[in-house]
Amino acid sequence: MTTTHCPYCSLQCGMTLTRSGGPRGPLEVGAWESFPVNEGALCRKGWTAAGLRGHRERLTTPLVRETLPDGTRGELRPASWDEALDLVADRLRDLRAAHGPDAVAVFGAGGLTNEKGYQLGKFARVALGTSQIDYNGRWCMSSAASAGLRALGVDRGLPFPLADVERTDVLVLAGSNLAETMPPAARHLDRLRARGGRVVVLDPRRTPTADRADLHLAPVPGTDLALALGVLHLVVAAGAVDEEYVAARTTGFDEVRRSVAAWWPERVERVTGVAADEVRALADLLVGTAGTGGRVMVLTARGVEQHSQGSDTVLAWINVALALGQPGRPGAGYGCLTGQGNGQGGREHGQKADQLPGYRMIDDPAARAHVAGVWGVDPASLPGKGRSAYELLEALGQPGVDGGPDGPRAMLVLGSNIVVSAPNATHVTRRLESLDLLVVADMVLSETAAIADVVLPVTQWSEETGTMTNLEGRVILRQAATRPPEGVRSDLEVIAGLAARLDAPGTFSTDPEEVFAELGRASAGGKADYSGLTYDRIRAEHGVFWPCPATPDDEPDHPGTPRLFADSFGHADGRARFLATEFRGAAEQPCDDYPLHLTTGRVLGQYQSGAQTRRIRDLPDDGPFVELHPMLARRLGTADGELLTVSTRRGSMRAPARVVETIRPDTVFVPFHWVGANRLTNDALDPASRMPEFKVCAAAVTA
Amino acid sequence: MSERPQHPQHLVVVGHGMAAVRLVELLVGGGWIEQGHALTVIGEEPGPAYNRILLSAVLEGTHDASSTVLRDESWYVDRGVALRTGVRVAEIDREAGEVVLVDRSRVAYDRLVLATGSVPSLPPIRGMVRPEGTLHERVHAFRSASDCRGLVAALADRRTPVRRAVVVGGGLLGLQVARALGARTGHGAVVTEVVEGAEHVLSRQLDRNGAGILARDLARLGTTVYTGARAVRLVASPQPEHAVGVRLDNGHVLATDLVVLTAGGRPSTALARRAGLDVRRGVVVDDALTTTDPRIHAIGDCAQHAGKVSGFVGPAWDQAAALAGRLLGDPTPYAGVREVARLRATGLDVAVLGDPEAATAAAGEVVEMTNPITRSHRKLVVRDGRVVAAALVGDLSRVGLLTQYVERGTVLGPHEPGDLLLPEKRTGSTGPADLPDDTEVCACAGVSAGAVRACGSLDDVRATTRATTGCGGCSGTVRALLAARTPVGALGG
Repeated sequence: MTTTHCPYCSLQCGMTLTRSGGPRGPLEVGAWESFPVNEGALCRKGWTAAGLRGHRERLTTPLVRETLPDGTRGELRPASWDEALDLVADRLRDLRAAHGPDAVAVFGAGGLTNEKGYQLGKFARVALGTSQIDYNGRWCMSSAASAGLRALGVDRGLPFPLADVERTDVLVLAGSNLAETMPPAARHLDRLRARGGRVVVLDPRRTPTADRADLHLAPVPGTDLALALGVLHLVVAAGAVDEEYVAARTTGFDEVRRSVAAWWPERVERVTGVAADEVRALADLLVGTAGTGGRVMVLTARGVEQHSQGSDTVLAWINVALALGQPGRPGAGYGCLTGQGNGQGGREHGQKADQLPGYRMIDDPAARAHVAGVWGVDPASLPGKGRSAYELLEALGQPGVDGGPDGPRAMLVLGSNIVVSAPNATHVTRRLESLDLLVVADMVLSETAAIADVVLPVTQWSEETGTMTNLEGRVILRQAATRPPEGVRSDLEVIAGLAARLDAPGTFSTDPEEVFAELGRASAGGKADYSGLTYDRIRAEHGVFWPCPATPDDEPDHPGTPRLFADSFGHADGRARFLATEFRGAAEQPCDDYPLHLTTGRVLGQYQSGAQTRRIRDLPDDGPFVELHPMLARRLGTADGELLTVSTRRGSMRAPARVVETIRPDTVFVPFHWVGANRLTNDALDPASRMPEFKVCAAAVTA
Repeated sequence: MSERPQHPQHLVVVGHGMAAVRLVELLVGGGWIEQGHALTVIGEEPGPAYNRILLSAVLEGTHDASSTVLRDESWYVDRGVALRTGVRVAEIDREAGEVVLVDRSRVAYDRLVLATGSVPSLPPIRGMVRPEGTLHERVHAFRSASDCRGLVAALADRRTPVRRAVVVGGGLLGLQVARALGARTGHGAVVTEVVEGAEHVLSRQLDRNGAGILARDLARLGTTVYTGARAVRLVASPQPEHAVGVRLDNGHVLATDLVVLTAGGRPSTALARRAGLDVRRGVVVDDALTTTDPRIHAIGDCAQHAGKVSGFVGPAWDQAAALAGRLLGDPTPYAGVREVARLRATGLDVAVLGDPEAATAAAGEVVEMTNPITRSHRKLVVRDGRVVAAALVGDLSRVGLLTQYVERGTVLGPHEPGDLLLPEKRTGSTGPADLPDDTEVCACAGVSAGAVRACGSLDDVRATTRATTGCGGCSGTVRALLAARTPVGALGG
């Protein structure tokens, strides 16, 4: 029996895997009761996670696309590892020689282990010399990351253990449907309420999470910022600002105080579609609680973050928490519920276009010098900042815009199914197809692998060891429970194989524990300092929270940092920043041709692009659907189960109607685990975080 | 003027109210100063700009007075905007391109924006204005922050206790002030009477049915309303314990300690008129918000666009946005907007979207429901499938949705306006024992009620179905299903 963690979301539930039969026999998932985050609980995705083992669609040999006699692209055919890697290395070398290092791009993922993410970032900068690396976490965490960094000086999803939720008095969940997206986390809500605490959910749909709430407000998609401004308005109006805290621990409040004077409840109602009295009820709850010494906790998630003003919305909620004097108090403050399995660690160690390991910025000379020292290269050889994820995809195969550099001609993709998960997906798919070379490493032939020139079959979670950093900033250890099928290699082996063929300087270990030790050295002194961590400690302590710097040999180990901000925020002066925001609204507003709001999200039984979960027999795969209100269904002349066409300015899809009373009548919802939803979504970006506006656009629905 | 100005321009804004602040914010945010232009704001009221909408909330005590301030002086300084407050503009010298201040100093402009707002119209009540021109000490206007401060101070003055008040005007502001006085927190409530000249309150916004419901609510809250009555004279109080009396045109005298005038306002147009601009009810502007002088614009309460003056902040802000866009190079014309009048008064639920009376008159189809028993009135005016105006009294359910429909001009289905009159349905929950076997009770593991019923114990449920092992939300239902399970033996017999 091996203890490990679920392959899916950021809760990273602890579980056990028991092998029956030989070294490659079937695995059985069991409860790991003593792991504190989920205490043995799992949702059906976790219980069935071993279902991809031995699946008939599992790739076990590299695939190379044939070129037909007339020069056009043929079918993928099996190839040996040497043939595939030689081919990739030769093509990359040629493209680099002809067009410069930025002609090659790398696209990583928030599902990769810390070791892989780190190694991929190093590979891009050292072996390829390219600045063009980013990852799909840009579409997940970047708005909260950008806001957290600017306001609090540190970006760690939760600055406290998840169980602290049970200790607060009022919990505000802004745009989170955790009861469906990370079900075991909902146990904390129930315990909180059993203790007498209250839960508020902000979501345009009355989700199963909202069903567990004391107060549910359903703003028009794209108006969450206005709601947050309206709440702060009422906090200020009631004289409920914790002036002592604001004076001692923050800067910038005066301008924020003034900036919300124009957000009285009736205006908020007009903008958000939430009745003024409901806005007041929320503010009264917060003011009444904080004003009597109670604790308030605000947690944001993708529902409010995946917008062209997502980072502003997070800033506005941080402002509410700061004004009430909450961050840094036990059982209180602000946090973000991370999405992908390693959404946290994935953004800390160099997969991001602007970052180096340890959450260091790539344009910081000291950071470059430190990391280059660990890598054994000249700091000047490290490239600068590259394009963000969507901008990178948008540039593929394209000449430079306004005299800027040309877009990349080749791309390596690890752990991401872009064809399904990118916004404005039809357009992005065309960009992928315009590449000279697309290389995808995956365990199955995902929709993205299917259009690649070279597909590399890689290990899956139960076959490999590596660390993940969960939504709490707790570094945990996934451990291999079995051996991979013949013909399959780990991502680390793929990276090492290519690095060797490209004559990269430095070392590219294939042993995760060695890579982790190197990652620790590279992160030392950074905001996300892992240098005091070892696999043994993580095993022994059920995970360790960063920062956890190394200590001299004669001193005890650093205990890790479960809770941040008790005495100081992450900025040099130790103070949090109030930052004023201006509401602009969604980039695309409904009009006569596209009169409805479209929002997207997840269902309980599927995960992300579904490349894994759609192939697991025991998970329901009913395909996408269009959720709409009975009043809207009647307007459209449709009924539950009938086929509908949803279209936007970018594309259309057909799916059956699901008529429910739990959604706003002016809004439709489509889950994004299948090809379709993201053909509709808007690629407008948040100017600060470069997050696309997945969560709202204008749509038409016809029967 | 639709192109971005090529040469440095000095823009002078006369007025420092909500429209002016919005315009300045948008110009600053849009790079006006960075592009090398200059901006001067001249406000007649002393002190910082504030949110006028919230004055009744300050009176009521739900809002701290300082929380209404929109921008501090330092905000202007930091952004390179010249701000002069407590200064009145005496005239506009169009030929010289200068405004002349009361101290006879001059400020040159390339472009001028009039955002002078409105002035309260004082009803003709004899004895209200003293010979020297000021209001009687017991009479207060309610328009500016200084009016509000004065009223709050009068209410707090122990030497002249206020137990009763008469509010002149039963429009939106009048009812807000009346309820604020009645619901004042911290200082003791004041018994308030409202005098309204029209046949019912909110006569501009509501029909008789809606106003009837509202009148009942007011009575329930202890506010007496005298409709079809005008206050004509301030007299001695008929009762010694009160300070003054208000005589109505029907001869009745209301004893009171305080009179608040809320009889509405009219556009402040004196400057424009003297400068020879076209002025009707307001300063006439075209779709570019330009007056008859191409260098002078007008926005907000003082402006008259397409024959209409507004008095609401929504149109004022939209005009500010349209003008800012134009000045910064975006020629999108101002198309006018629908007004949303939302009474913010404790205990009174009223929302008026658009102009229901005018829309009804303009051949709108009316879908309405008045229920005196539940004290609710809901009226939608529909044209070509769109809700063009609505009035809601007593029951504001779906106000957020209706506002969206009205503002966005959403085309609805034929049944929808009727559906929107009905209160929101909440699906009732069925007791676990009644759940059909195929109902999913555990979403985390995908387990039906029947599958749970087939188990003998909670441990059995956990082991065989994995229900309750995820989010834990179904634990109660699962226990209830197990408890209600027909004992196996009972079927025998």
